[in-house]
Amino acid sequence: MPISQSDLRKLTRRHLFRQLGSGIGAIALGNMLLEDGWGASPLTLNSSTASGALAAPHFPATAKNVIYIHLVGAPSQIDLFDEKPELQKRNGQLCPDEFFKGKQLAFIRKQPSLLGTPKKKAFEFRSCGESGIRISNLLPHLQQIADELTLIRSMHTEQFNHAPAQLLMLSGFERFGRPSVGSWISYGLGSENRNLPAFVVLITGQVLGAGNSAWGSGFLPTVHQGIEFRSKGDPVLFLSNPAGVQPSSRRDVIDAVNQLNRRQLQREQDPEIETRIQQYELAYRMQTSVPELMDIRSEPQHVHQLYGTKPGESSFANNCLLARRLVERGVRFVQLFDQGWDMHGSIATRLPQKCKQVDRPIAALIADLKQRGMLDDTLVVWSSEFGRTPMGQGNDGAGNQTKIGRDHHKESFATWMAGGGVKRGFCYGKTDELGYNIVADPMHIHDFNATLLHLLGIDHKKLTFKYQGRNFRLTDVKGIVAKKILA
Amino acid sequence: MGHLSFETRFRFPTGHFLRLLLIALLTHLLIGVHLSPCLAQTTAKIDFAKQIQPIFEKHCIECHGDSEPEGGLRLTQRDGAFVDGDSGSAVIVARHPDRSGLFVRISSKDKAERMPPDGGLTDKEIKLIQRWISEGADWPKENSTRQHWAYKPVRDVVPPKNVNLSKSANHIDAFVIARLKERGLAPSHRATPAKLIRRVYLALTGIPPTPAEVAKFVADPSPKAYEKMVDQLLASPRFGEHWARPWLDLARYADSNGFQADQLRESWAYRDWVIRAMNRDLPFDQFAIEQLAGDLIPNATVDQKIATGFHRAAACNVEAGVHPEQNRINQIFDRVNTTGTAFLGMTIECAQCHNHKYDPITQDEYYQMFSFFNNTPLEVKLVSGVRYDFYGPSMELPLSAEKVAARNKLNSEIEAVKNRMKVIQVRDAALQADWEKKLRQQLKIEPNWKPLEITSIETSGGEQNKKLDDGSVLISGSLPGTSVYTVTGKSSVKKLTGIKIETLTDESLPGTGPGRGDVKRPNFILSEFSLETRSKNRWLKQSFEAAFADFSQNRWPVNAAIDGKRNTGWAIAPQFFKPHWAVFELKKPIDPNATLRFKLDQNYGRGRTIGRFRILVSSDDLAVYRVPADIRRIVNLKKRNKKQSKRLSDYYNATNVEFVKLNRQLKKLQRSLNAIKPESTLVMVEMNKPRETRKLIRGEYLNPGKKVEPGVPAVLNSFAKDLPRNRLGFAKWLAAAENPLFARVAVNRWWAQLFGNGLVESLEDFGVQSQTPSHPELLDWLARQLVENKFSRKKIIRTVVLSKMFQQSAVFRPSSRTNDPKNRWLSRGPRMRMSAEMIRDNALVVSGLLENKIGGKPVMPYQPNRIWRAVGRNAPQWVETTGRDRFRRGIYVVWRRAAPYPSFVNFDAPDRAACVVSRSRTNTPLQALTLLNDQAFFEMALGLASRTITENKSSTLREKIKSMMARSVSRTPEADEVEILVRLFEKQKSHFGANPKLATQLIDAIRHVDAPAKISKPELAAWVMVANAILNLDETINY
Repeated sequence: MPISQSDLRKLTRRHLFRQLGSGIGAIALGNMLLEDGWGASPLTLNSSTASGALAAPHFPATAKNVIYIHLVGAPSQIDLFDEKPELQKRNGQLCPDEFFKGKQLAFIRKQPSLLGTPKKKAFEFRSCGESGIRISNLLPHLQQIADELTLIRSMHTEQFNHAPAQLLMLSGFERFGRPSVGSWISYGLGSENRNLPAFVVLITGQVLGAGNSAWGSGFLPTVHQGIEFRSKGDPVLFLSNPAGVQPSSRRDVIDAVNQLNRRQLQREQDPEIETRIQQYELAYRMQTSVPELMDIRSEPQHVHQLYGTKPGESSFANNCLLARRLVERGVRFVQLFDQGWDMHGSIATRLPQKCKQVDRPIAALIADLKQRGMLDDTLVVWSSEFGRTPMGQGNDGAGNQTKIGRDHHKESFATWMAGGGVKRGFCYGKTDELGYNIVADPMHIHDFNATLLHLLGIDHKKLTFKYQGRNFRLTDVKGIVAKKILA
Repeated sequence: MGHLSFETRFRFPTGHFLRLLLIALLTHLLIGVHLSPCLAQTTAKIDFAKQIQPIFEKHCIECHGDSEPEGGLRLTQRDGAFVDGDSGSAVIVARHPDRSGLFVRISSKDKAERMPPDGGLTDKEIKLIQRWISEGADWPKENSTRQHWAYKPVRDVVPPKNVNLSKSANHIDAFVIARLKERGLAPSHRATPAKLIRRVYLALTGIPPTPAEVAKFVADPSPKAYEKMVDQLLASPRFGEHWARPWLDLARYADSNGFQADQLRESWAYRDWVIRAMNRDLPFDQFAIEQLAGDLIPNATVDQKIATGFHRAAACNVEAGVHPEQNRINQIFDRVNTTGTAFLGMTIECAQCHNHKYDPITQDEYYQMFSFFNNTPLEVKLVSGVRYDFYGPSMELPLSAEKVAARNKLNSEIEAVKNRMKVIQVRDAALQADWEKKLRQQLKIEPNWKPLEITSIETSGGEQNKKLDDGSVLISGSLPGTSVYTVTGKSSVKKLTGIKIETLTDESLPGTGPGRGDVKRPNFILSEFSLETRSKNRWLKQSFEAAFADFSQNRWPVNAAIDGKRNTGWAIAPQFFKPHWAVFELKKPIDPNATLRFKLDQNYGRGRTIGRFRILVSSDDLAVYRVPADIRRIVNLKKRNKKQSKRLSDYYNATNVEFVKLNRQLKKLQRSLNAIKPESTLVMVEMNKPRETRKLIRGEYLNPGKKVEPGVPAVLNSFAKDLPRNRLGFAKWLAAAENPLFARVAVNRWWAQLFGNGLVESLEDFGVQSQTPSHPELLDWLARQLVENKFSRKKIIRTVVLSKMFQQSAVFRPSSRTNDPKNRWLSRGPRMRMSAEMIRDNALVVSGLLENKIGGKPVMPYQPNRIWRAVGRNAPQWVETTGRDRFRRGIYVVWRRAAPYPSFVNFDAPDRAACVVSRSRTNTPLQALTLLNDQAFFEMALGLASRTITENKSSTLREKIKSMMARSVSRTPEADEVEILVRLFEKQKSHFGANPKLATQLIDAIRHVDAPAKISKPELAAWVMVANAILNLDETINY
């Protein structure tokens, strides 16, 4: 009779000795600490449930979990986070030659004019909180929690088209095939909840151009890929029983399957069969734990008011609340995607609309995490694949003149982080007076990712996976931790 | 052990030894006992390239690299390390760690002294370096990587002779058993016949044996019977369908472009080519050559051109605003890198930006290979503005026989209709003259128009107006952007049938009008024209039948003035400076003396309003206006040219009901004919003039460096002089018998396909960093066999599956489990979880639903809703197949990169956006959920239940269950196993009996699979649950 992992935990020394003597060997040992669920690792010196490829963190982690919000299409940093009075002053002037000539621009084909933030009350910037960080009035709720943020105004990238830029931002490589940031973290740290995956994805609007690869596991084992929790239909694909099948029937089938699998295990002695038996039990548990998790009706009214959530709806607000519930249950990495920020035209009307959808829920999420004491070890991230030009663009791609917007901008954009060991009320990096180039503390995507891993206690140079004879890492051969933003 | 999951997931960079060490350590920590020495025995000499160089790469070369090394110390080259650094002390002194500056610095307790400055080395790494120096600091000379085994020619190996082999054993057995003996291991006995037939069927065809086939083999499991079976399976068309799958992963074959929108592309003929090539055992060298350069083979066949779809499978971004050249360069990178991985097991992509750190490939050599692929055209096309489409060369495929037949049928029908039309034309030619005469007469009677008696005029824009003597109205004064003229008046005719508006010129108007807004372009836009009549103190809106005008501006037709839309209208550019008219025919005539109110809504803006107009009324028949102006003119011409005559006879024919009907029929037939197009497929085409290739500095496409000529890496076989320096020459060089990697890499992958692990574990990499082969002689022997057998894939596979080693029992015997846990030494037979596609195919066969058709367009079976969500312009739709195609093999399921088939994804299928050599084999709860709940597997459960019931009508319950399970696991189940399922059945039957509604729900939800007649739904539902359990067994998805 082979030993299961759960049996192993109960074994006495004498038992184990005897089993070793009769040849249980390295496999059972390898599986010994294997949690019968997600992100499991046989090799950990740490007896807690957190288990990944890393035996122990490289440094003390300040963040345990990440809620990573990606605004798909790229919001305008100039109109939200990086105030440019000089640009407003020079609104309408033809842009300097060096902004256009020899530059890679996705849509603009003629030398464009500068476009300042509209001189309207709704678009004004305000000094917020004690830190005095200046944030646009388009984000009134975020203004209220500005003291929690480390605002990074000096992000830059190399890609100026959405899909490759998303891949670069989210996997550190502009083409397909590499693991996403969440997969790296799942691989490195494992899951804290054996009933849930380590990496969960929540989506509002269209799926981003990079498709499933944005949360794919690349060459890492597929257990590390992001699992989408959907707001319509089955929250996890194939979670619900088919029509007419009740939990009791499902239980009966799993019992029969596992009884037969145990007999198979006796015959074949292949430890993988034991694992499969455990996975069927876990699948059954997920059938109740996941719907319970996704059902936000149980949240009190004041929480719904805070976030602006409505049970049963599919909205960004609901996803923010779900993110908190997931992190509460030990999900390591929650990634929110929200489509609709690619404003080549009509930015003055579309930007306020989109901001309205995300401002309150995000601020609520941070306030809620803080109030629960979770913000200390949960890192919240606002990101996009690139920024938007300080020059105007009046072309929607089909050649139609539309109301003015901004093109893709790779030379500078803004992100922010909150909680999880970053400074509070801090601004990092600076762009020039027109918001085109970075003039201080540039932060490349690799630096951003290196810093993100650092906060999780991971040395980005040491989280590697050998594939094709090479030790790959999220930050390729680059990446410098931005120590200035660490609290 | 066939399962890779934990092994791949937790592979430590420093290899097996450390892993064992860790396990030992861990055990020590946990249970406080020391393990038997066997786990801590490994004390082989430290291998510089594998153990030390990676430490340098990781921690040191950032500062101590090739460019401006800190302190003058380079740790990239041997020579750099043994000379004294700037500090004057020896960096490495062999056998004396404490005299080696390197070790002193890395082990220093003094923080200021210690290297690297961030203290990044672990104790383990420091100890490794210490041991390495103590052992003599063996740092192989610069070009030592060229001495790496994989770059040396394949040896001519003689199988070991001192091994006792049974009569039916082959050379493979000699190699493996000799190695087992060395390690004190014994092979396992032969697997039971039932296990063996299942294994060999699934390994070769991906399809399980039928119960009858199992019974036959169990009755005669002799080596001879086995051999015969193997030959049959190798000849089966199912072989190619199964073996194509791993190749398609490598070829990153998919049915969509990848990236934004991820539109579908037509390239499935390439997938079918791979299946055919495997089935007809196209020699592997030719297999490579045709895929890389089939288009360049002199007099290339259609098939050889289709084969080049291999490199057209590269993903391509067509989102708005892409730069086509960047796209093109990325595709070539992908082609070069995929070629390296797929055929050479080499990670040449490392040399894209700099010289390869481990393997002997320079950046120059990378771009030399790049240049072979640099001569194909761009693959994105500018459509408009910054909008791009995927195109690039595609080839029309020959029409299928069915399509040719359909086309012929339509052509003859078209011919018949055309003839009939000709007959009518001739017959009715005489009648046309009469018709023309009548028409001329009809046209002579102009309807009578009388000016409206105007009682009031209002203008919404504050303009002034003045009634003129001829009954017209002249507008003057302010010029608002838009305006509505409201005119009230009385009809002075008997029965009002229509209104005419004349827009007139006047000296007082800019440019004389008729519009008011512009001297040069005095246009007007009549956005909406309406008429209301007064009845019982209410204004009643009147409808118009039609509108006519003497002239309408392009895209501003007169009927747009009565379409109810204020953003369309009637305008007259460029016919300014002259009067025009429009006639509005009423739906119902209006009684005399009615009060009429007209509104002329001119909503365009910029003062495009009418300057002078007159409203007229008529009670005549207005049919004359229905005749188009040009016809009116032509019919009255004395002499007509050809074009005019045709126009007139076409117009006449349009009045002929029979002719019109035939014409409609003709158009329909022609549409059907046009719809029968040959299918097409993506192919490679070489440009007439090759591009110049430059090295790209840091791999950046905007940063070209020096020019390079086509060439191949010096470490491999040389490029034969008689080969052309183009893609074809490159392909022939690659597939040459002298290439040390080509055959080795291929046989190793086939071996892995059959055994679960390769002889070289890193299937994707044979470079310096690769795993040492477990059986180096066997690998070379197999590679040699491949070359000597004219690159026959099937012969190699045949030899492997006929070996005793393949036929061993897979049971983990205690000694095998302890001393050969990963089955690296092959002390037992292979046992593997099926791939995603196999799991589907197997369940389809077991359930009797499989549709056996080979090849063709990709299919869309059941998948949950909202998997294919829009990701931009022209995003494709999932149209679920309800016909037999629903039950095709997995290899035919459409592969969309942004969202591959979800149940495949759960079983480790990649997205095929990039080359994948081997899939993970994980074991997750999502897999359990998929098999339990996916509607596709529930359909199969009903299929299995139905066939069991109908095929075993007179059998007992137990016999039925026995047959059901036997189908799924290819053996007769034990009595106690049957009892488990009997209990499940009884319980479900009573459950559904008590809840018949649930049973109905369950059965009714499964469409597209026939349920047997004469069985109650509760009983059938119980059978479905039993089938569901059987399809979920570990044994069902393993082989």
